[in-house]
Amino acid sequence: MRQIILQGLEQVYSKLFHMIAEFLPRFLVMLIIVLIGLLVALVLRYILGGVLGLTKLDRVAEQSGASRVLRMAHLPSMSALLSRSIFWVTWLAFLLVGISVLGIPGFQEQISRLFRFLPEVFVAILIMFLGVAIANFLSRTALLAAVNAGHPSARILGWSIRFVIWILAITMTLEELGLARHTVISAFSILFGATMLGLAIAFGLGGQDLARKALERYFGDAKKDREKDKEPQPL
Amino acid sequence: MAEDTFLADDLLRQLMSVGEVDLLVGVSSHNAADKLGEAVQAIERCFQQFFVRQRVVIVNIDGGDKEPPQDDPAASPVANPAQTAETIVPRQGITSLRTINRVTANYSAPPSPGTALRTLLAAADLLRARACAVVAPATCSLTPDSIAKLLRPAYQDKFDFVAPLYSRHKFQGLLARNLVYPMCRAVFGAAIRELYTDEWGFSGRLAASCLNQNVWHEEAIQTRPEAWMALSAISSNFRCCQTFLGEKPPAARGPATDIVEVLRQTVGTLFWCLETRPSLWLDAEPSPSVTTFGPDHELTTERSDLDPHRIFAMFRTGVTELEPILSSILHPDTHVEIKNLVAIEEGKFRFKPDLWVRTLYDFAASYHHSVINRSHLVQALAPLYRGMTHSFLLEHSDSSPAEMEASSEMLCSEFELQKPYLRERWKTKVEVTS
Repeated sequence: MRQIILQGLEQVYSKLFHMIAEFLPRFLVMLIIVLIGLLVALVLRYILGGVLGLTKLDRVAEQSGASRVLRMAHLPSMSALLSRSIFWVTWLAFLLVGISVLGIPGFQEQISRLFRFLPEVFVAILIMFLGVAIANFLSRTALLAAVNAGHPSARILGWSIRFVIWILAITMTLEELGLARHTVISAFSILFGATMLGLAIAFGLGGQDLARKALERYFGDAKKDREKDKEPQPL
Repeated sequence: MAEDTFLADDLLRQLMSVGEVDLLVGVSSHNAADKLGEAVQAIERCFQQFFVRQRVVIVNIDGGDKEPPQDDPAASPVANPAQTAETIVPRQGITSLRTINRVTANYSAPPSPGTALRTLLAAADLLRARACAVVAPATCSLTPDSIAKLLRPAYQDKFDFVAPLYSRHKFQGLLARNLVYPMCRAVFGAAIRELYTDEWGFSGRLAASCLNQNVWHEEAIQTRPEAWMALSAISSNFRCCQTFLGEKPPAARGPATDIVEVLRQTVGTLFWCLETRPSLWLDAEPSPSVTTFGPDHELTTERSDLDPHRIFAMFRTGVTELEPILSSILHPDTHVEIKNLVAIEEGKFRFKPDLWVRTLYDFAASYHHSVINRSHLVQALAPLYRGMTHSFLLEHSDSSPAEMEASSEMLCSEFELQKPYLRERWKTKVEVTS
């Protein structure tokens, strides 16, 4: 009896020893990969920060209004955000490669799926960034034009343009990520169509006079000129 | 010649047949072909009356026309070198002893004042003209005397830049009076009242200097090159003067009367000059006044049908609706003060000079720091300019020209007094959290 127990323990010890002997080198390889990854990520972050500084990306982001959105979300500047992103993405990639070296069953498949998904995440982030930048630029353009032309409710016009472009950008982002693709497209179509129809009905039924005035204002150059006359000649 | 590849072969051929000249007058006939004939006649009479012995040339910069006239006197590709003044205009007593050459430059590039001026400068440089003038038939009522007044200081008195001065209605030219003139005077030390104008004079030396600068692709130069030329003259220590030309003709309908477009062209160019030449103004001291031929200023006081109520309403709406944009441009304290102005009753409204100056300096600094798109930034100034205009109309409804001039001087002093504020804002960016 005692002999059997000792033999069992010996077998377990032997297996454990073999497992540890097999695992330790892999673990060391993983650590080395992770450390190299950390080093590479830091270097890439430093290089990207320098390159983005030279390209004056922050200035472009500031002008397009994207920085404003980042500030609202308590995020750092655009170049800092991209530098940090490249650091984390690189390090995460090395980390995953390192973990895959451990040879944990089932993990390989998950990691390769994650790698396949990364480009889509990048494209989605890019779409969202461009969407926010374009929405801010166009809404500001519309707002300024409406205010300087003396139109009432200029801010509503600006917000409407921003809202529509945001919705479009979010829809495209979710579609790129493949999240509830059909639901998102259907929801967008319904929402956009309903909004436009609602506006058209509201304008047609409730704002006939306003519509006439607006058309007169847009196409009646003579009246426009008369209104300009009431301001002093600037130069 | 600085730009020997810029001019078209046809124009070069015409210029070479002219040879060297003493005086050159450039006319931009873009979309003003119907008035070109009158302009050319006025220039020729000027030469015949005031510059009889000088070698002269008229250069028509033709950027195309929607409706070319049937008989355009300067539209012929060139001047026949043998064609004399007598054949162009009838004899009127004294006539020129020299040939009055006429050259037409057709350029294929999109027509713009910048391209027209560049062509003119290149022609002046090639012909070694000693004095030049630019006149615009579309907006100005040209007389031989006014053209001579632009040429004479550069030709006889060795000035390099000759700015015009006009007699104006007291409520006209408020952008120049309340913004462009005082700000340029304080910042650049350039006490030139009319920086944005359609007619001015310059020397051949200044033409060559400006031609050599690599700025002609800039949008600011393409739209309003004259202010840049004046500032270039000041910065390079060229001699500048002003000459009184008489009454300022009212601007024709079009972009010249659209306040947003005018702001983009004038203030946009001014901010661009600040941006591109910080070394010129950051440590510059106010310069002594510029030599002036004729009266320094003249105001008339006829009735006008301005609508201050509408202007004030647009100021109010603008400040309210553009709050998020203004908050990113203005210093928080300045923004609070402007928001407080909106609540004031229309009759008691005053845009104080110190607040106006700080507002403009905030805009200039924000343009430098690119806090938002620069075109948007300049457009956002329109409601505030309307506020200042309304305040000005109320304050000076019964003022005499002397009182208005005193008020203008006070505003200039305020701009100079607060220049350190601009320097500080220029060098340090105020982070706006929203």
